[in-house]
Amino acid sequence: MEFEHKKMQTVIASEQYLVRLGVKTLLNVIGVESDLHEADSFEELERLINDVPDLNYLILSDELLPKKKQDCLKDIKGSCSLCKTIIIGQQKIPGCVFEHFILHSYDRKQVVEELQNFFQESESTQEKNDSCTLSDREIDVLKTVALGCSNKEIADQLFISINTVITHRKNITGKLGIKTISGLTVYALMNHIIKAEEVR
Amino acid sequence: MVAFTRNNKMAEVILRDYQLLPIISRFGIKLGFGNKNIEEVCIDRNVDLAFFLEILNSYHNADYYPENHLSGFKADVMISYLTNTHSYYLNSKVPHIELFIDKMQKEAKKENSRNIGLLKQFFNEYKIDIEHHFKDEEKNVFPYILDLEEALKTNNYSTELIEKIKKEPIEVYERNHESLEVKLADMKNLIIRFLPPLSCEDDCERLLTELFQLECDIEDHTRMEEKVLIPKVKMLERKVLEYYGI
Repeated sequence: MEFEHKKMQTVIASEQYLVRLGVKTLLNVIGVESDLHEADSFEELERLINDVPDLNYLILSDELLPKKKQDCLKDIKGSCSLCKTIIIGQQKIPGCVFEHFILHSYDRKQVVEELQNFFQESESTQEKNDSCTLSDREIDVLKTVALGCSNKEIADQLFISINTVITHRKNITGKLGIKTISGLTVYALMNHIIKAEEVR
Repeated sequence: MVAFTRNNKMAEVILRDYQLLPIISRFGIKLGFGNKNIEEVCIDRNVDLAFFLEILNSYHNADYYPENHLSGFKADVMISYLTNTHSYYLNSKVPHIELFIDKMQKEAKKENSRNIGLLKQFFNEYKIDIEHHFKDEEKNVFPYILDLEEALKTNNYSTELIEKIKKEPIEVYERNHESLEVKLADMKNLIIRFLPPLSCEDDCERLLTELFQLECDIEDHTRMEEKVLIPKVKMLERKVLEYYGI
């Protein structure tokens, strides 16, 4: 069922027990509901990245990383591309592939805010993907479908392949739950994507 | 799930599954059956018992498959039932739905009234679709089936009939039998997800209920045509060809 959300998976990685404990407590405070996994060494972290399916979040203290920190982080990003990462450290790592940081100098309020941003932002982007908001390109395709164009005509008009047209159409139907062309036309008219005069 | 039998009391059947109400009225069976059982009611109303039981059970339980009973009734009984069902959809269900759409359109504010106008147009297209679909069955498919049955009864086969079995057997109809529910599902989706809220929630709720019911009923109807009628016609076609030694 679509409604059964999978539980989030979060890894907390730090050599220091107190840091891991502190992060867990704060996650509890801001109400993040997630399965938590802890890593106290880089090897353990690598193992978790490989073993935990669908890892969503990684909270990583940078003292855990071996020497070439930037490269390590790049590797981490490469091996779990869908996972969001926030770094805890003395200072921001220059040229880092991740944009979220918690600095050691932050006070409680700053840390909580940073964590909240980190978790909220991705929740809202996930919602966006689920919901019925169509992308600009999908709206272009919907417009032509609603006007009664064939896949070939759409492909020519939008300079894309027929396969891409088919994929867009599948995604549109998936997002809107509307299968027939006349149903899509009604949707497009309701939302002023096309005008009644244009319909063939 | 236990199937209904000829000895079940008619009243108990309806009390157990009220969704069967429109089915019995399609057979011309009226309420007030006292303590009569299914068989007695059928005799009273001159309804084919074997067929009535098949229909009742198929609607009551979607998994019910009347494999062994296919020969228990004649195709003409089934065709007259299917034709009755067509007119039930067109003369009773469709006008009901149109009535609610009209009511909603009258009560809605200007912008939303335009939206409901679009739905109305959409439903109108659907109506034309199903009218066309039913007409095709009644004009082309059903008479062919009746011809088959008549030919077997009288042992009198016309060459046209044999040609038709060879060139355009029921399998062609089976392949092209299109689904009538997809547009109804779209209509529900448009109302549930995308129509801006209305002040007349009652009418909207009733409209949706009607749409859900019609969708269910048409699903059952299609299942009946595909699982009961078509296998039966295939059997008739085989018998005719066998008789002719083809």
